[in-house]
Amino acid sequence: MSLLKINNVTMKFGGLTSIDALNAEVNDNELVGLIGPNGAGKTTVFNVITSVYKPTLGEVLFQDKSLKNYKTNQIAHLGICRTFQNIRLFKSLSVKDNVRVSFGVRLKAGFFSSVMQLNKFSKEEKEIDNRIDELLELFNLHDVKDEEAISLPYGDQRKVEIVRALATDPKLLLLDEPAAGMNPSEKSDLMKLIRDVKDKFRISILLIEHDMKVVMGICERIYVLEYGKKIAEGLPSEIQNNEKVIEAYLGDTKTHA
Amino acid sequence: MKSKLYFLSTVLAIFLINLVKDSIDPYYYTILIYIGINIILASSLNLINGFTGQFSLGHAGFMAIGGYLSISMSTYFAPFFANLFGAGVFGENMTFLTVMILGGLAAAAIGLLVGVPSLRLKGDYLAIVTLGFSEIIRVLIQGMDFIGASQGFRGVYQYSNGVKSLQMLDNTQDSFIFYGVPKYTNFFWTFFIAAFIVYFIYNLINSTYGKGFLAVKDDEVAAESMGINTTKFKVIAFVSGAFFAGVAGALYGHFNLYLNPEDFNFLKSVEIVAIVILGGMGSIPGVIIAAVILTILPELLRGISEYRMIVYALLLIIMMLTRPQGIFGTKFKFKRKKKVESA
Repeated sequence: MSLLKINNVTMKFGGLTSIDALNAEVNDNELVGLIGPNGAGKTTVFNVITSVYKPTLGEVLFQDKSLKNYKTNQIAHLGICRTFQNIRLFKSLSVKDNVRVSFGVRLKAGFFSSVMQLNKFSKEEKEIDNRIDELLELFNLHDVKDEEAISLPYGDQRKVEIVRALATDPKLLLLDEPAAGMNPSEKSDLMKLIRDVKDKFRISILLIEHDMKVVMGICERIYVLEYGKKIAEGLPSEIQNNEKVIEAYLGDTKTHA
Repeated sequence: MKSKLYFLSTVLAIFLINLVKDSIDPYYYTILIYIGINIILASSLNLINGFTGQFSLGHAGFMAIGGYLSISMSTYFAPFFANLFGAGVFGENMTFLTVMILGGLAAAAIGLLVGVPSLRLKGDYLAIVTLGFSEIIRVLIQGMDFIGASQGFRGVYQYSNGVKSLQMLDNTQDSFIFYGVPKYTNFFWTFFIAAFIVYFIYNLINSTYGKGFLAVKDDEVAAESMGINTTKFKVIAFVSGAFFAGVAGALYGHFNLYLNPEDFNFLKSVEIVAIVILGGMGSIPGVIIAAVILTILPELLRGISEYRMIVYALLLIIMMLTRPQGIFGTKFKFKRKKKVESA
């Protein structure tokens, strides 16, 4: 069953067409890659899905519901959460509190019970504390949970972003270049981690990544964008041998020969 | 749970000190009350400016709304409240609590009205809008005759034929009673509310719900993506800040027994912002200490009164240069430093 359906979406900024009539879908518990050269419109796809931009044409369906009238913060409540290409952690908060913010999505305690510290509030806070610890443990971030999030090494910051997104309990996780800035061993750890997350939480993941090793290693299906147009889709092995894709990445072999 | 215990014991201590308040020298007593009021004002502004990162310059306006509304209620409706709650100590305090809450609610309601459209703006623009709003409030009050306009308000004459007037009328034979602003504000109320707002903000900021405010300050795009309705959080911070400013206005009015629109001019807002900045945006203890320092300092400098403002300004400049993060910095960094020292 398809969880997310991108239906003929076009996104124009003035005269610039960033996404051109894109059709794509993500199925339940599937890991899909979205690749393409710089400026192909990959991050714009994420921004359209999370309602940061409203598409010029077409619509995005999530569980057969149109996302047209949802605001960005409501999208998270529906079960779509993302990470950012240029890390956007909350800089005055500790690692733990960065993750804690995400629990606001399912929080029962409101303004008054938080201020007055009613009993059910304390119980809920304790549960959230435990859940945060579990999540951080899974990502090996437990030792640094009280550190300022932005004081961590780059790779760990990316991991905190993933934990923070996971904490909203999403059905679909959008990862925007999670391996950027990591060294090869960190990358292979991350690949394993992403696969584990997918299986453990039984969620779907849409992944933007430049590192072909990562993409080819873990994605079940891949979409390739160039100048906002989808130029190929299919299994990793098919994409690797697709002429159009090779051309998009390496240039036209004939003219340069 | 621990914070509840601290709060209750603080309230008890405040209550006990209140019993001996008559033995405190009136000069020092006045300064004490002003310290309390400034703690309330600065802490409530800290919620907006420090924790939520929205730069408001309109706190004096909210203070004016709460102050004027509550003192006009407690004078115009003095007989009504006396009937309702009785005339004794209990009745007086109930009346005060009622007008204080009404003053706060009025300020909060206006805060909602101003906040919803203007919180779309950021940084300097929000500062200008809130500054303009607070000036509008002041000018409106200057035009309202029933609360004294630019003359200020100190009470109302109620004649037996039902006429109410701010001045004594000489052409009437009816008997009258003068209802001055009652002196309801005392040590207990001032510091009870100061303790309450500190407790309020401390709990809020340390709860999962309250982390949303800090998230809004740090990165609105990320906060929005994590399911936080940033507009709602900004409005909540703004409205609850306005509520406490209104309450502070009520305390101020019932202590001074006289309010003048000029008490709530631009400089008052700046004064409160200065306390928050000196104490450290988003630091609860820092703002309390800064409120104490900046209330006492002008008094200490009375001896060199011509140069008072120069010293005051110099202190702020030195502070900005040496500790831009405030006296304590934010709580988080404070905690970390302590860990290093013990290691």
